Amino acid sequence: MNVTITVNGEVRSASVPPETTLLVLLREHFLLTGAKTGCDVGDCGACTVIVDGKAVNACLMLAGQADGRTVTTIEGLATREGLHPLQKVFEETGALQCGFCGPGVIMSSKALLDEIPNPTTAEIRNALAGNLCRCTGYQKMIEGVHEAAEMLQSTTTPATLATKTPATPALAALPQR
Amino acid sequence: MKPFGYVAAQDSEHAVALLAEYGKGAKLLAGGTDLLADLKLTPHPPPAVMVDISRCADLKGIAITEAGLRIGAMVTHSEIVNSPLIRDTLPALAEAALSIGAVQTRNLGSIAGNLVTCVPSMDSGPTLLALEASVTILGPSGRRTIGLADLFVGPRKTSLAFGEILVEIVIPKRNVGKPTGFQKFGLRKGQALALVNAAASFWAGEGLFTEPTIALGAVAPTVIRAPKAEAYLAGRPVTEDAMAEAGRIAATEAKPITDFRATADYRRDLVAVLVKRALLAAHGRATPNRKDIAS
Repeated sequence: MNVTITVNGEVRSASVPPETTLLVLLREHFLLTGAKTGCDVGDCGACTVIVDGKAVNACLMLAGQADGRTVTTIEGLATREGLHPLQKVFEETGALQCGFCGPGVIMSSKALLDEIPNPTTAEIRNALAGNLCRCTGYQKMIEGVHEAAEMLQSTTTPATLATKTPATPALAALPQR
Repeated sequence: MKPFGYVAAQDSEHAVALLAEYGKGAKLLAGGTDLLADLKLTPHPPPAVMVDISRCADLKGIAITEAGLRIGAMVTHSEIVNSPLIRDTLPALAEAALSIGAVQTRNLGSIAGNLVTCVPSMDSGPTLLALEASVTILGPSGRRTIGLADLFVGPRKTSLAFGEILVEIVIPKRNVGKPTGFQKFGLRKGQALALVNAAASFWAGEGLFTEPTIALGAVAPTVIRAPKAEAYLAGRPVTEDAMAEAGRIAATEAKPITDFRATADYRRDLVAVLVKRALLAAHGRATPNRKDIAS
């Protein structure tokens, strides 16, 4: 079957067998190997990518289900100007050790910050609950997400702030997402 | 994965037509979080054709209708967590959805998928059962509506006939806004299956337990109600002692098994604790005149 997705801002197509997962499409057909094949059954989060604004396990989605959608992978974060604040902070503070879980953790964090620009520690923990890391103990990741949130907010101009939807205060009791 | 065919259904009618066309070789694909993982792990041959209903627009949406609160079959757990309507009227449903898997699986997995997979530890089951939800089923011979309890037959077994699909879950209007609590105990906070989960719901008119319902997960072949504990509470003054006693009675109604996660005795003890906590949580949400607002 033919599948067309917008991946990291670029429209790309491939002809793949129907049982192809989004992860295989990205890694083997588009050669975007940032998303990792870990458990391959949705437990570890190493394959996390953002589909239409939502963090998902690329191993649990068929390529056909992603047809026509917008996908962001770790390769889509850095720009000509440099690394994304999350990447920069994670690198500088040692939030990653072996690094295998890193692309998934960073994409989960990116999806969180896109939705909640200034998350609480509980919201960060909730957002990262589906990303297993066997090296770091998570603490530096959580601190890193806080730091990246600050960096992103300090670089945000008032004009772009105005376009962001504020979190609904009445619903603050339950963590978002 | 072993090769299989794939076809995306346009809407629920199309999905039913596709199931009829492909017969026994066809399998419905909803969120895929259980099915695709199973297909990778199982030695059994895959279905000939996967009928993808995850993007059928008529299976989406959360709304108040004539019948009550309607949740489309393909609504994801994240959509339930973030629905202002659900957070406002039945926050226990949002809590239950938030306790499922992790963000990534909640963004894909659907409420109907959770129900139809029919594992006893499903987290969507207890709250919906306590709220006396019904499900609408579409098949070759048309639509039918059954109580949620009648959907559950056994572990991984529902009463859906071949060729039928679950299209919506409806919480009856009389129970929209009913104070409800949900409790789950797993071995970790994230991505853990419930050792036991429980939901409880009641109106507290004039300080008495009114229309109390209690539902339990992971302690029987399916999610079950606890009728003896419900009968004990009905008409009794709302006190913490009564809640604790209802928990103890519910523990006698549970039929848990011992497995590698926990023993049957431990699960029975958990039932007593979680039922009491669920009743307390429901009581915390009970506000005077809420029923009048809802009906």
